[in-house]
Amino acid sequence: MTQLSAQDINVWFGQRHVLKDVNLLFPEREVTALIGPSGCGKSTFIRTLNRMHELIPSAGLGGKVLLDGVDIYEPSVDPVGVRLRVGMVFQKPNPFPTMSIKDNVLSGLKLASRKHADPNGLVETSLRRASMWNEVKDRLGDPALSLSGGQQQRLCIARSLAMDPDVLLMDEPCSALDPGSTRRIEETILELKEEMTIVIVTHNMQQAQRVSSQTAFFLAEDGNPGQVVEFGSTDQVFNQPVDLRTNDYVNGHFG
Amino acid sequence: MEKVAAMPIDPTPVARPKNAEPWKQISLSGIVTIVLASTVPLATGLLAMVLGLRFELALLFVFLPVQLLLGVLAGRRFSGKRGQADAILQIFVIFFAMSVVVLLVSVVWSVVERGSAALSWQFITQNNVYISGQTSLEYGGLGHAIIGTLLIVLLSTIVTVPLGIATAVYLTETTGKTRSTVRTLIQALSGLPSVVAGLFIYAMFIASGLTQYVGWAGSLALIPLMLPTVTRVAEESLLLVPQELRNGALALGSSAWKAFWLVTMPAAKSGLITAVLLGVARIIGETAPLLVTTFAANNTNLNLFDGSIATLPTYLYTFIASNFDTAVQRAWGAAFVILILVAILFIAARVLSRKKTAKKAGKK
Amino acid sequence: MAETQPAPIERRSLRAKPFSKADRAFFKSATWAANSSIVLVSLIFIFLMWRSWPAFESQGVDYIFGSTWDNNPENLVMQIGPMLWGSILVSTIGVVLAVPMAISLAYFIVFMANDRFGKIATVMVDLLAALPSVVLGLWGLLIFSPVAAGWAEMIYQGLGFIPIFDNSSGNFLRSPFIAGWVVAVMIVPIIASVTREIFSQLDRDLISASLALGAGRWSTFRRVILPTSGGGIVGGVLLGLGRALGETVAIFFVLNLVFEVNWFNILEDQGGSVASMILAKFGEAGQDEVAGLMAAGVVLFVVTLFVNMIASFIVAKAQPWRK
Repeated sequence: MTQLSAQDINVWFGQRHVLKDVNLLFPEREVTALIGPSGCGKSTFIRTLNRMHELIPSAGLGGKVLLDGVDIYEPSVDPVGVRLRVGMVFQKPNPFPTMSIKDNVLSGLKLASRKHADPNGLVETSLRRASMWNEVKDRLGDPALSLSGGQQQRLCIARSLAMDPDVLLMDEPCSALDPGSTRRIEETILELKEEMTIVIVTHNMQQAQRVSSQTAFFLAEDGNPGQVVEFGSTDQVFNQPVDLRTNDYVNGHFG
Repeated sequence: MEKVAAMPIDPTPVARPKNAEPWKQISLSGIVTIVLASTVPLATGLLAMVLGLRFELALLFVFLPVQLLLGVLAGRRFSGKRGQADAILQIFVIFFAMSVVVLLVSVVWSVVERGSAALSWQFITQNNVYISGQTSLEYGGLGHAIIGTLLIVLLSTIVTVPLGIATAVYLTETTGKTRSTVRTLIQALSGLPSVVAGLFIYAMFIASGLTQYVGWAGSLALIPLMLPTVTRVAEESLLLVPQELRNGALALGSSAWKAFWLVTMPAAKSGLITAVLLGVARIIGETAPLLVTTFAANNTNLNLFDGSIATLPTYLYTFIASNFDTAVQRAWGAAFVILILVAILFIAARVLSRKKTAKKAGKK
Repeated sequence: MAETQPAPIERRSLRAKPFSKADRAFFKSATWAANSSIVLVSLIFIFLMWRSWPAFESQGVDYIFGSTWDNNPENLVMQIGPMLWGSILVSTIGVVLAVPMAISLAYFIVFMANDRFGKIATVMVDLLAALPSVVLGLWGLLIFSPVAAGWAEMIYQGLGFIPIFDNSSGNFLRSPFIAGWVVAVMIVPIIASVTREIFSQLDRDLISASLALGAGRWSTFRRVILPTSGGGIVGGVLLGLGRALGETVAIFFVLNLVFEVNWFNILEDQGGSVASMILAKFGEAGQDEVAGLMAAGVVLFVVTLFVNMIASFIVAKAQPWRK
């Protein structure tokens, strides 16, 4: 049972307050979509969930992120351990250029100094889970950069899955991809949600509706810090939004 | 064959997009200017030969004025007053740039021409024992100096490369508080006069009686000269590694150390090797710091920790001021060997960086 | 919206402390290595100061401004005035000669040459920068000096009535003019590569806009390129100046070091250079005289450090994108 929740998250960069009082609960084995116009802090927020946030030099934080009831920002918590349990896929595909496809999948083990009984099996299962095994099974030794953009992104997903995370964070995983690749990644997400909790930032409203069961709408108005304007089931946020601004946004009136 | 002949050369250039790099498009007046720039020297050279003028004088007092005059006329003919100013600018730019080429070619050519005359198998293998400035070139050589240079540079490299790369890591991979101070000091070190670096080691070890002139002192004196080059180039190549790769590694649960070792460093590998090569190229010809720390020697010394060691630059230095022809030839030979070493390092660095950019371009 | 309380939200400490031992060792060794450069610069200063202090103490202010050097151990007089001025004079000549060449080269590479020529010229600049100064000294002494002496003689014949081109000895070799040329060859690549870097980072749209408005190359250069990149070029020139002031071996071969100030007769066969003087006197110097040479090293170090600091400050300011 893995439960992830954010309590009163506030974020600063230097003196600039960019996120205010975000409270979200991410239920187990569900997909939560974070939507909102550019610059509203959704990407910033998702990075607080696995302590990638603190890598930005001027970053500041208030509030708690609870993973199974433990605040991951407690001084006694090793960020490396957090990131092992909470995996992340980035906006731009970032396979390691000096490694082969196979080595990319296994890179997490090497980077985290873990051993695995059956590395070849792990490569296959991970690539299968990212639904790309059939495409690459004959050329596992090729450099990762020889793949297309969409394949590279799925390789990055496979790379994360090899570490068997409980939670997978996806920061606009399809924004750099063509519609076909986007489709396949969405299918992957729907399969994966049977096994893990997924948080996905997306600009694509249809995508949010297709893959998520609950949605949070972020908005930053006129230089104010970003806030969650509306949070509920995806159906409710898109079809019966309570807040007028949400209504405007999901119906394409701004952003 | 037939086919080529059948295809007439299209007189109009291939149409380029009008807005692509307009500053590089060479206008009609530009073409005329360049044609003048290339044909007039020939005429000037002939004129100079006929009149018996010195070449560089002909260049300055005949070639440049004629070129300017024609350029101005051409420029005015094609685009009025604006063309006139442009022609003058272009001609001066080409003239000054060509002067640099002439100087460089003069240096390289004189070293190659005179140095290769001195080179022989015996010259690059034997040492300098019992050799004076008058000894015929058939005896003795600079083998001991080649070995000495390699040893001294090797020791400097062993110390400086880890230090320089670690400093670059500190500058790029950490959020340390003293980063700007370190960067400034490295920049300041890059302007350190080489003789001062030598004096520093002399003051620290030799003047205080810790040692006599010795090989390792020379190696130490080269460290402050090599460090800034290695650090700067390494820093630049680490900065070129996209931040997303580091993030990708860290998000997989990597420690910072592993992320650097397995992801960032392999991605910057060719840049880091270039840093080492350029660092070695920077110090391989240094003379003054070695003169005040290890001095010169005639015998072959393989021990960096006992006695003076000969190096190529100090070998060159000891023969240069002599009036005897053979001594001067030895100096040229040494210069040629140094130049070859620099060229090897340089070409290796170029090939590496070319490979890197080619890979990037190919995979984009 | 609920009432917004202005009560400050607690900001947590986000010190990303390395957790594993390997990480701690990694960060520690990087920090240690980086801070060793601070130690290195301090050591250089401390040891040179320590060894040279006797000379500063015995010679006083005249060490800088006087112009006598007498190595009689009974009555040691060490004053580097002519050398210091000579360094400045030679470097100035070098900079004046190098600047047009370097800027032209950079302009040619960035704004005129096609990619292929530009690349060749860039490689050339790098190659010139990699030439060791002892090789340039050899070339300067045996190849260039006779040629440049010929130029000097001609300048004297044509313009000798102007004081700076006067020559009373009739000897045109080993003059500041020739040393300045050799120094110019050394610093052209430094200035050219900084300038090229700055030119190539200029806003292309700005230049296209200027050309599209019908401005020619010249007015674009004067009104668009120079104002935006002038600062950076000045910084590059200062970097070259720093290198010129510290140049040792090459000048040693092509300049006649004389302990009598040659204020501006650049064609006269007498001049000075602090760095070359150290090299010239080092071989035969006794212990006290070595202190005097160390002192010259300190002066040189301080001067070049100062010039370099200003230069890198200006260059950094002119390139805000390199942070």
